[in-house]
Amino acid sequence: MSTAEHSHHVRLVYQPALPLSNGKLFMWLFLSTEIMFFAALIGAYIVIRFGAPTWPTPHDVHLVEVIGFFNTLVLVLSSVTIVYCLEAAKSNKTGVAKAFMGATLLLGSIFLGIKVYEYSSKFSHGIYPKPQHSRIYEKADLYYASAVRARLQEISGALTVKPVWTNEDAQALAALDAKSELTDEETTQRKDLRTKKDTAITEEEQKQLAFVKELELKTNTTDLVAINALAMEIAPLASAMSVGEHGAAHHEGLNDQMPWLRLPIMIPGGNMWASSYFLLTGFHAVHVLVGLIFFAIMLSWNLNAASAGAIENIGLYWHFVDLVWIFLFPLLYLF
Amino acid sequence: MSANDPSHAGHGHEGTHTHSHTGQYFAVFVALCVLSAMSFLTYTDFWRQRFPVEAGRTFMMAVSCTKAMLVILFFMHVKQEANWKYVLTIPPAIMAVFLMLALVPDIGLRGRKYSPERKARMAEPAATETADATHHAEPASGQPTPAAH
Repeated sequence: MSTAEHSHHVRLVYQPALPLSNGKLFMWLFLSTEIMFFAALIGAYIVIRFGAPTWPTPHDVHLVEVIGFFNTLVLVLSSVTIVYCLEAAKSNKTGVAKAFMGATLLLGSIFLGIKVYEYSSKFSHGIYPKPQHSRIYEKADLYYASAVRARLQEISGALTVKPVWTNEDAQALAALDAKSELTDEETTQRKDLRTKKDTAITEEEQKQLAFVKELELKTNTTDLVAINALAMEIAPLASAMSVGEHGAAHHEGLNDQMPWLRLPIMIPGGNMWASSYFLLTGFHAVHVLVGLIFFAIMLSWNLNAASAGAIENIGLYWHFVDLVWIFLFPLLYLF
Repeated sequence: MSANDPSHAGHGHEGTHTHSHTGQYFAVFVALCVLSAMSFLTYTDFWRQRFPVEAGRTFMMAVSCTKAMLVILFFMHVKQEANWKYVLTIPPAIMAVFLMLALVPDIGLRGRKYSPERKARMAEPAATETADATHHAEPASGQPTPAAH
């Protein structure tokens, strides 16, 4: 074929802009910024994690891999339902499109619900991103022993100030209750005795007090090995278990057996882990929440071919949210 | 017709390509589930006992990248889009890599610059205890019941 013949068949078409709608262009530009945002966060996590002197294993910080895996499936399934919603809308099957949109909303809500459960599990173990609430200590050193002692003294102090309900008190109250008529002084005395009975230290609390006093003795040491053993007794680390025990189920410590203790816990690298975990999953959860708000709004629309562009745009956003989780799941739960 | 007209824009093949992608989406979904299960399996004792940790992590990242590509290509329809996709995705991808690399000297290698005082207070990996010492950490006598409070 000659050059002249070839050029005769080439039909150049001038396009004044990118061949996509304004809405879709905006969404892709927005996603471009989001790629950088999450890449910076995930990149920072990777750099921090592998540059750290030590890092807790998922079991050390009470992460359950199966829950993360289930959430991955939930989010992947929601990605499928939103593309089915788009297909249905393009075919003007508004009812089917709404059903798929509703399913996406439901699945996203399940994801968030599970995330809330996971967060509450961390909080109940004293793992917070903020120092005011966090009970994490990096090392089983003298500072840790001092913090444990301070907490034990706080508990024992609150129990010690409670009045003791004696047999004499019980007899006096019984005698006053038996009387048909009481003087003003006796009425006041009976009221005081009843208040004392209600606020008196219980048998259970006396056992707690004795236990706390006994445990406090273990903190009066400068032996780092003994302090480490105490830390393991309070909250055992899965990573500190012998090889045969590793990967076993959750190991219960004193904090688990007696949640009222709320003693400081020792997790090497735990503070940086908590900051990274809550930052990454928190920003991701905010994105999920925003997506759910848009889905809820769009459920009130007539989801036909005319609204396919909008569905495609929110779908792109939702797939991006899914993409982020695809990387977060192995990095946070499996590494 | 304007290039910004939504009815004209959209997918690169939309005009001539009207058949449903339902089967394809389902196939991608199944592939994503299988890949997720594969990355999860690397955490089992079976995998641990046979492969080094680095191999498992590399495998998990490879699986994640494959999953991401499936979502991007099929669910986000990038496979069908015109060449503008490169304009909007490659620059932020390059920026993302540079963002991560920029953190390496100050954050990733921070341990090399620690002073002796800082190292003394640095977290250390927990010493491995025997199963008896940790798992059966019996509390002192007179222990109250766990359900209290």
